[in-house]
Amino acid sequence: MHGRLKVRTTEEQRLLKEKEQQKKLTAYQTGMKQILSTRNPTSYDPKSFAISAQLLVVNPDIYTLWNYRKEVILLELDKSKSECKDTIIDNGICDEKSQESLDVTKGLIKFLENEIRLTEQCLLANPKSYGSWHHRYWIMEHHPEPNWQNEFELCTKYLTMDDRNFHCWDYRRLILNKIGMSLEDEIKFSTERINVNFSNYSSWHYRSTLRKLDKDSLESEINLIMNAIFTDPADSSAWFYLRWVLSNPEMTEGHRKQLSQTLDQLLELEPDSKWCLLAKCWINGIKKGENMNEDQIEELTENYKKLLILDPLRKGFYSHYLNALESKKLNNA
Amino acid sequence: MAVPLKDIEIKEEYPKTLLLEKHIKFIKQYGQSENDFEYGMTDYLRVSGMYWGLTALELVDKLDSLPKEEVIGFIQKCQDPETGGISACIDHDPHLLHTLSAVQILCIYNRIDAIDVEGVIKYVASLQLPDGSFTGDKWGEVDTRFSFCAVATLSLLKRLNAINVDKAVEFVKSCMNFDGGFGSRPKSESHAGLIYCCLGFLSVTGRLDIVEQDTLAWWLCERQLSSGGLNGRPEKLPDVCYSWWVLSSLSIIGRLHWISSETLKRFILACQDTESGGFADRPGDIPDPFHTLFGLAALSLLGFGDIKQVNPTYCMPQYVIDRLQLKPQVLK
Repeated sequence: MHGRLKVRTTEEQRLLKEKEQQKKLTAYQTGMKQILSTRNPTSYDPKSFAISAQLLVVNPDIYTLWNYRKEVILLELDKSKSECKDTIIDNGICDEKSQESLDVTKGLIKFLENEIRLTEQCLLANPKSYGSWHHRYWIMEHHPEPNWQNEFELCTKYLTMDDRNFHCWDYRRLILNKIGMSLEDEIKFSTERINVNFSNYSSWHYRSTLRKLDKDSLESEINLIMNAIFTDPADSSAWFYLRWVLSNPEMTEGHRKQLSQTLDQLLELEPDSKWCLLAKCWINGIKKGENMNEDQIEELTENYKKLLILDPLRKGFYSHYLNALESKKLNNA
Repeated sequence: MAVPLKDIEIKEEYPKTLLLEKHIKFIKQYGQSENDFEYGMTDYLRVSGMYWGLTALELVDKLDSLPKEEVIGFIQKCQDPETGGISACIDHDPHLLHTLSAVQILCIYNRIDAIDVEGVIKYVASLQLPDGSFTGDKWGEVDTRFSFCAVATLSLLKRLNAINVDKAVEFVKSCMNFDGGFGSRPKSESHAGLIYCCLGFLSVTGRLDIVEQDTLAWWLCERQLSSGGLNGRPEKLPDVCYSWWVLSSLSIIGRLHWISSETLKRFILACQDTESGGFADRPGDIPDPFHTLFGLAALSLLGFGDIKQVNPTYCMPQYVIDRLQLKPQVLK
């Protein structure tokens, strides 16, 4: 149960609510009984099928009901196949020559489209239901004429409504393979999402999965990050991405210097930005590894000490690095 | 210019001490009757619900207050004789999530003999795909949650060799991200719940060597917000269940001390319901057994004296894991 505020009620309200709840519970239990009593491997009861849809719209997490609906869909697919058994069939589609066959296919498609609409209803009510997302993909995979393009556009629309819904991002990824979107288009999409909202970790993540960074792309990624952190230095998303970019073996000393200078400018504006100080630590700490001179060790130590004060929640994390620097100092000496 | 961080405020009136007796009462009362609304409407997650409540009670040494034989009898009825899998409830379908919960309960009771163990092993093994991943049931949904459920179940039954472990590891490894975290499938965004599943998986299979320890530990410790609570992904609200997913993950990779225990304790305690008992996701919300277990388990990892030691990999009492002579890997 997530994000459900407890509300204080009067005795009267409580009784009323209890009555309503009893009604809902009875409806649920009666519905389940009806469905389960008619569930069998060779046929289905349309009334039960309709009830299962009603119950799922209210609660899409009742996984057994999605299973039941899949069984029914498989029955319908089988029926469609056997009804056009005299003609050539491919994935449930009849040979187009006979009118009768055409009608059978039409009927099947209408049935599946209704099912897709049901998942949409469920997803609008609860966009994070694993069951609804999986059911939708499963239908599409069994659909004789799947409209993947439509699914793709729906994803884009949903992501504009909530750009952090990882189910939707995952679904998008599944569809990409089906419609053969180009990498360039997806990079463009992630740039658009990031520009709409820099504080969108999901888009930054998505970006990281699209390609391996090379010399050319590194430059543009660094620019995008700088843009984001100057817009809102307190937002963490771009900083995580920066740490990843910094770990890239193609990073040159030139890149590091340029970044370091930009961060110094930002530090002048925002002297207490923990992210900025931390990023400085990464730049100076990563790669230099073994051959740090005393000044560099001193500067890193200073930064980590500042971080200890600025961000006391993560004292243990900063101390870990301070201890490492301390032993490095001893080794050098 | 700066957008305020998403967080909550810990108010002075929120509870500051552990309301142990109230939680015991809360769990005991939960599910007294199928006619109770919340309980009756959630039969589709019953066996997992029983695991949450039962483990919570055992962590505070009150397991005796539940009708043991009734619980075991119920689980027996939930095992599907054909596939060997266990369902959430009678009349529901078998699923890996509930199969693990059932095995966890029976291990706590030391009564694994009560079910058809070979059936369970056959069921789990039947769900592995050629790429090493696992589906939750026969309908094909793939997720790293199920990889964890599979190896946790099999290791509790001492039959990890029933599946292709190397392939399973390969799949989990392919779900590692730029930030060191893991998602539900390859290239899926990192999420603390799934990170716990993947680290738990690697802990059970002894393959934590593939983890980028400090990159991941930093991402995890950044989940702590000013309120002390932990969120599951960047820029999200804190939630008691993430106290568990993040904390157990940090424990497994040996970096528990990278967050502030004191402020986290304050947050978790603030999420207790002073009237009914139980923990909610955030202060003032409705409590439930799920958050009650994860609240208590997190407090156990933080060294709360009144709570038994919990194992971070299995989310079960440590003494049960010791009794089974299991030694899930942890990093230093």
